[in-house]
Formats: sequence, structure tokens, C-alpha cells
Amino acid sequence: MKLSKKISALILSVALLIGSFGQANAAKRLHAAIADWTGGIITCEVAVAILEREMGYKIKQTVFPSGTGLWEAIAAGELDFACESWPSYAEADTVMLKEDLIYEGKVVGTYSGDGSVDLLGTAGIIGMSDYWIPRYAAEELGIKTWKDLNKHKAKFATIESGKRGRLIGCPVAGWNCHDQKRLDLLGIDFQADELGTEAAAIAEAKAAYMRKEPFLLYLWSPHWFFGEYDMVGVQLPEHKTCDSFTEANNWKDCGTAAWPATGWAKDYTMNYGNPATFASAEHADAKKFFEKMSLQNIDQAKMLVEVDIKKRDVKEVVNEWLDNNPDKWKSWLP
Amino acid sequence: MATRTDLINKSNQSKNIITYVIIGVVFLVALWLSTQSEGPSKFPKEVTDKFTFTAWVNDGEDYLKKNYRWVTKIIASYIKETYYFLEDFLLESPWILIAAIIVIPCIIAGGLRLGIYSSFVVYFWGATGMWEPSLQTVALMGLSVLLCVFFGFILGVLCSQSNRFENFMKPVLDTMQVMPAFVYLFPALFFFGIGGAPAILATMIYAMPPIIRLTNTGIRQVPAQTIESATSFGSSKLQLLFKIKIPLSLPSIMMGINQVIMMALALVVLACFIGAEGIGGQVWQAIRRLDVGWAMEGGLCILFMAIMFDRFSLAFSKDVERLPSDVQRFYLLPQSWEKYQIAKILEMPLSFGNKILKNICQTVTSAIAIVFRVLVSIFNKSTAENIGEFISKRYYVIPYFLVLFLIAFIDHYLLEIGTFPKEWKLSIRQPITNAVESLTVNPGFISFAKGLRAFVYLNLLRPLDVFLTQIPWWYTLAVFSALGYVTVGIRFAIITAVLLLFIGACGIWTQSMITLSSVLVSVVLCFVIGVPLGIIASYNERFRNIQNVVLDAMQTLPYFCYLIPVLMFFGGGTVSAVLATVIYSIPPIIRLTSLGLTQVSGTYSEVSRSFGGTLIQTLNKVKFPLAIPSLVIGFNQTVIMAFAMQIVTPLIGGKGLGLEVFNGLARSDTGRGLAAGIGIVLLAIIIDRITLAWTKKQREALGLIS
Repeated sequence: MKLSKKISALILSVALLIGSFGQANAAKRLHAAIADWTGGIITCEVAVAILEREMGYKIKQTVFPSGTGLWEAIAAGELDFACESWPSYAEADTVMLKEDLIYEGKVVGTYSGDGSVDLLGTAGIIGMSDYWIPRYAAEELGIKTWKDLNKHKAKFATIESGKRGRLIGCPVAGWNCHDQKRLDLLGIDFQADELGTEAAAIAEAKAAYMRKEPFLLYLWSPHWFFGEYDMVGVQLPEHKTCDSFTEANNWKDCGTAAWPATGWAKDYTMNYGNPATFASAEHADAKKFFEKMSLQNIDQAKMLVEVDIKKRDVKEVVNEWLDNNPDKWKSWLP
Repeated sequence: MATRTDLINKSNQSKNIITYVIIGVVFLVALWLSTQSEGPSKFPKEVTDKFTFTAWVNDGEDYLKKNYRWVTKIIASYIKETYYFLEDFLLESPWILIAAIIVIPCIIAGGLRLGIYSSFVVYFWGATGMWEPSLQTVALMGLSVLLCVFFGFILGVLCSQSNRFENFMKPVLDTMQVMPAFVYLFPALFFFGIGGAPAILATMIYAMPPIIRLTNTGIRQVPAQTIESATSFGSSKLQLLFKIKIPLSLPSIMMGINQVIMMALALVVLACFIGAEGIGGQVWQAIRRLDVGWAMEGGLCILFMAIMFDRFSLAFSKDVERLPSDVQRFYLLPQSWEKYQIAKILEMPLSFGNKILKNICQTVTSAIAIVFRVLVSIFNKSTAENIGEFISKRYYVIPYFLVLFLIAFIDHYLLEIGTFPKEWKLSIRQPITNAVESLTVNPGFISFAKGLRAFVYLNLLRPLDVFLTQIPWWYTLAVFSALGYVTVGIRFAIITAVLLLFIGACGIWTQSMITLSSVLVSVVLCFVIGVPLGIIASYNERFRNIQNVVLDAMQTLPYFCYLIPVLMFFGGGTVSAVLATVIYSIPPIIRLTSLGLTQVSGTYSEVSRSFGGTLIQTLNKVKFPLAIPSLVIGFNQTVIMAFAMQIVTPLIGGKGLGLEVFNGLARSDTGRGLAAGIGIVLLAIIIDRITLAWTKKQREALGLIS
């Protein structure tokens, strides 16, 4: 009995203590997602820092893996907004958005979903995806484009791929990269390995680079990897689409002229949020801010280097950038 | 007599030969069948098309979401509010207050040693810049443990009172423990929102079984004489339960709480995948950025935290040992050093300080007690006496709260304390990162890593993958059922067949065979590495002690901490997945080998020695056969852990059912994820039951149990 009394006394008193000191905060609150790649984290941190510094917000941030789950969480109002969605990779955008995406006055994407998620506006970042090899390998082997890859496939082979070369492919099946399909259509005798996470793919690439081995890597830009390691793209054919050429249609017609035999489209990235939250009068300012926000690739790339290579704190780097470049973001304020 | 034993020996021998021949034939047929087939064996399409388990689950989920979401939302909002409340309190309070809340109970319960250790832990959180995530993890864990203990205790008491309820709960508890947490982590998201609430509820599913089990056994193990004497004094059933049985089973219940804490901590880290804050999120971000050092710092925060809570809850359930009055009590150094004069002198100030502190505490407390007694005695004399006594007995707890209030008061009115001082920073990131990076480019180490990768892939993984996936499904099913029949019995054989048919009908046969093959390869590697280590440990005590510490650490570190080094050295892919599985699941086999061998009583090996047996002979002919039951239990646990790890390996390129779970969840296709998750559970259960039954037979054969 002695024990249980001790425990209950402890619990009770801690509860009392909590009761006496907990206090509420009066600021306007929003709940944002922290992305799972550094570029996305920085873009969102810029938005969060401006909302907090200039517009009196207090933003709660939660790490959340990108994907359909994130879109559903936003639609359900669990989170208020998330940043930098890449149209090539998102699956939910076509179902949930119902607006045009406008970049510098031009319509770059049209969506006709159910409108359960609100397209807040462009994030400004324009993404590019490609296959890359390290410059030392390109120069040593004389590889200029993807057409030269087959000649040197033995150099790119690993235990698992046998005689074929190995592509460190798009890590997640849900991103719909169709790597193996592309390699087959283009006649590149490589095997695409899906490693499950970006971390796994980058870890292998980093280790191979440190050992100066040749490797072929799928990656998107801007990415910190390019700041630290010298990579060259293999210049896949320019992006083209063909309506009957989809997985559901079993890749009929169009031959090798269209996606996925081509490279990726330019990704005009966007911020998105919960429609009810941003329709409310309380958050009208925030909505205006997101309509104007447009972070440039070069600025994100600079911060990426600070964060991922110099290993500095994200908040510190973003605040420093805001302090030094007021001309770049003052115009975003409502 | 002699002829009879000869006969028995002979019949045993021929029985053995028959067994080996059967195994050989079964294997050869399987080999022939697998070479005959062109590709992986497929379950009949008519069945998989009709059996749309995935769609049923998704429909059911949609129905629940549409109609009952308001119920889950209410539950979630309550939990969320409480959690945010706790979190806000922990994060917005001055850091010294939080440190005091954690450290002082450690001193009270575990003495100076635990107190110093816990101060170090709290310092480490702040110094590595993980103050906030650490406290978030503490809040999440604390709340889930509280809820687990509350509901687990009730369920445990119910189990102990009704055999029928106990029988109903047993398989439920088994499933709760084996089911990979990822399977219900994500659906929890859709019902309970993101962040704290689903994390806490998922943690409850995972961490509640031990407290239910241990409450139940604790109450059931209360000696019959005690119960009889209580009944003879006329206690009613309820009185018996609450006044006799539950108090007597408190040590067992405390043990349960201890295990709940450990398990909750493990899952809370994993919950970063559904948006729960805390150290898990930090480690995951570190992995994303390939920052080994950062990930390790996060891992160490968790490790130290786990050790602290473990020791704390153990200390709470242990009574202070009484020493003879003439012996000087040691507070910091081990009591066994008492024979050294210098240790006594060193301990002098400590014991003096302790006396002063105790006096102060007692004086303050009795002063408070007097004040209360006087105040209350205005209204009621007898209550006043009781309250006075109640207070003056708690001469540790009352000053504890006094100190807390004092700190809060100072912070509020005199001097703002704020957050953990930045100047006290300590970072071990760079050295760890440098060490891993230098290994990555070390030609000797890399050629070893490459050799190992090639060996595992070419000689173990690929042949077994091809073999298992290409055997026709009906043959594999028949072999498993036969195994079930031989080891357990006809009922289990039928169950095995049904379970495997379910896996096939869900259309995940190939994936399950791939999972089975990587689990088997991992377990074989665990055996090859683990058994020798266990043998060394059984002969050398110092080695054993060091090894135990390392194994404890390996099991407590969040398992995705060491994914990055594995990736850097071995690249992504199935081999890395196998190696990560080996690291995670090797501890039980090492531990139980060494335990089994040391437990073989000295007499047996002495007898063997005296007959002139060499070290190897003794080991091989006497110790190993006797240690087999222990070895099999180790094997069994290793297999279960290897299965559990299959859910994480897709993060570094693992294939099979785990990948299926991930892909299902990435597309928010719960049915697909659930089917694959159930597949893992079923395979684990089948193998677990077969090995356990086999152990039992071995024990019987050795005469260890009747």
C-alpha cells in the first residue's frame, strides 16, 4: 500500500502543479508541416519566419512525411498548410485541388479536383529531375548523354544488377517515376533499383562518390547534393506527354516519343492548405501572403549549402537570409 | 538390461535416420519442383480475384470513417488537449524546474548514484540541443504509460478473476505484440488525426500487454494459504481482491510498469512517421540528411532516457536494503568497498550531508504538518491529527514540491530562468560523422564490405529467394502443415494451412516468400555470429559483462539510428536490409547461448572433465545438448525480432511484405498495408509455435520437465 500511495501522491501533485503554471498564448495560430527533404523545409521555414516575424503569428510545426497522407491531413484540417509540392510527384493534387496554378502571371497547371485542399499559390521554386553521373566518371569514360551509357554499363554494374548497369532510381514507388519503363523504352541496359527512401539513395551515392566509383543516380534539383558533389545530367529527351500512354492504358502507341520515355516536366512547385482555414477572415492576411510568396531557386540553393553542408540550424540560416535580403521578400507582405 | 538399452538406442538411431531421410527427400523434391517452374509460383488467379480482402478493409474503413469518426474525434481531442497541456508546461517552464522535477524523484527513489546519473541525462538533452524534442518524447511517453497502466491494470484484474476472459485475452495480447506497429500507426492517423493523439493510442496497443499479463499473473500467484486465512477471517470477495491480492502482487505490477515504459519509449520514437514530435523526428530528419552524428546524438538521448526511467522504476519497486547499524552506509561507491579505509573517508562528507539534508527535510515537513494541524483542528480534531500524520510521514515528497514551487516562484517574480543555456553546448556529432566517413573511404574495410555483400547476396539471398518463390505454393503449404502436425498436432496443422491459404488468397504469396527468405538468411547469420560470441561470454565473465552492456544499448537505441552506417558501407538493397536485421535481432541468441551454457550445472562438466573429456568435447557432447532448450528460445526470439524488423527494412531497400506495407500506406491504401502486415504476423506466429513446441519436446526428452 505504501508504494501505491507514494505513486498516487506524486501523480496528483504533478497534476496540481501543471494546473497552476500552464498558460495559454493569445497569438494567431497556424499549424504547418515540416517537409521531409531539406529544400521543402527551407521553403516552409521562410514562410513560417515571415508569418511569425512580420504578421504576429505563432506557428506550430510538425514533421510529416510527404505523400497522400499529408494531403488528407490537410483536407481534414489536422494541419493548416504545407509547402513546395512537386506536381510530377504528387498523386493527390489532381484529385483534391480545384484551381489554376499561376507562375508569374502565366497559367502553368490546371486542376479540376474536388477542392478539398486549397492551392495557396506558387512556392516559387522550379524543380528539375534528371539522371546524373559524377563529373569525374563522365570525363574519364567520355559519357556525354544517356546514349553513351550502354557502352560503359559494366562499369556501373553491381552484385545485384549482374551484367546490366545499375541506376539508383527513384526511391519511392508512390512518386511514379517509372524508371525501369524509361530505361527499357530508351534501350538503356540498366536495372533501376528502388531503395525505399531518399536517404538510402543519397547515402549510397555519397559513399560511391567518396570512393570515386562511377554511378548513375536519379535526383531532383535544387538539392544539397549538387552543392557538395560535382554531378552532370545525362540529358534525357525533353518532356512530352501522350494521353493514351499511361499505366492504366498499358502504354499503348506513342512509341518512345512521350512520357515516361522522356525526362520530367519542369515542376512549378506550390504551397497548399486547408480551404476552411484560409477562407476565414482571421487568416485573410496569411492567404494574401501566400498568393505573393515566390522564393527563387538560387536563394534556396544558397540556404541549402549553409544547412546541409555547413550543418547549420535551419531557423538560424533562414533568419539570416531574411535579415540580409529584405528587398527580396518585403514585397510578399500583404 | 544391457540389451534393452541397446534396443532403445538402436530404435532411436533408426528413427533419426528415417527423419533425416524424410527431410532430405522433402528438400530434394522441393529443389526439383523449383527448378521445373519458370517464374515465381502464383496462387490461382480465380481465388485471388474473388478474395478481395483489400477492398473489404478499405470499404470497412470508409464506412467507419463516415459514420463513427465523430466518436474517435472526441476521444482524440481529449487526449490531444491533455498532451498539449503537458507539452506546453514542459516546454514553457524554466529549465531548472523541469530538471528538478526529473532529478529529485530519482534521488529520492534511487539515491545519489541515480541522482547524478539523471542530472547527467538532463544535461545531455540540453547540451546536444535536444531539450525540446526530449521533453516532447517524455510527455508522449508519460501520457501513454499513464493510460496503459490505468486500462492495463483494470484488464489485468479482470483477467485474473475470470478464466474465460483470460483465455479470450491471450491471443489478443499475442497479436498486439507481434503485429508490426506500422500497420495500425497509419490507420490511427485517419481516425485520430495527426500528432500526439494517434501516437499515444498506437503506443497503448503496443505497450499494454506486459502490464495486463503481469497484473494477471501477480494476482494469480498470491499464495493459497494467505487467501484462505483472509477468507476465514470473513473477507468478502472484493475485500480479498483489494486488500490482500492486489497489494501482494504490487512487485509484479511494478515490473509490468517498467516494461510498459520501455516499450512505450520504443514506439513513441517510431511515431514520428505520423507527425508526433520528439526525438524520433530528430533522428528521422538526421537520417534524411545523412548526418550520422546527429542521428547518434538523438539515439543516445533516447538510450540515456530509457536507462534512467528503467532504473527509476526498478528503484521504486525495490525496498531499501537494511544495513547493520555499525556499518557505514555508502551513497556513491559500491557498498562492497567498505573494507577500504579510503573509500570510507571519501564517503564521510556524503553521509554527513545526507544527515543534514534529512534533518532539514524532516524539520520543514513537521513544521508544515504543525501548521496544517493547527489550521484544521479549528474545524475537526481527529481529521487534523490524521492530516498532520499524513504530512509529517512524507518528509521527502513535501520538500520536493516545496523546492519546485520555490523555483517557479523565483522564475515568476525575481529572475527569469528561461530555456537551457546555450553556452553549455556539447557536441559529439563531428567525431562520429568523421569516423563513419573515414571508414567509408577506407579501401580495406570497403573491400571487406563488398566481399561480404557479394557473398551474402550470391550464396545465400539470391538462391534462397529463387528457391522459395519458385516452389509451387501447394508444396510449401503442405510442408508447413506437415511440420505443424509433427511438432504440435493436427489442429495446428489445419490452422497453419488456413493461415497460409489466407496469405495466398490475398495475392501476396511471392512477397511473403521473399520476406521468409530474408528472415531465414538473417537468422542463419545471427546464429553464425551470435553462438560463438555466446560461447566466449559463457567462459569469460568480464567479456560477458561488457557484452551485456553493448547488447542493452543495441536493443534500446531506436533501430533506425544505425541504418545510415549500414547504407554507407553496404549500399542500399536487400543485403543491407539483411544486415540491419541481423544487428537488430542478434541480441537474444547471444544472451541465451551464454545463459544456456552457464546454466548447465558445474557437476555435469566436471564429470565430463574427470573422464578425460577435452574442452571441446565437453562443450560439444555435454554442454550443448543440455543447453539446446535455451538455444531454441533464443532462436525463437531472434526469428520474431527479425520478422518485426521486416517492416523497417524497406527504408533501406528491403523487399517483400514490408515494402508492400509501405507502398500501401504511401498511397493511403489501408487494405493493402493491412493484408501485408497480417501476412508478417501469420508467418511469425506459425514459426513461433512450431519452434516452441519443438523446444518443449526437447525438454521432455532431456528430462528437464516431466
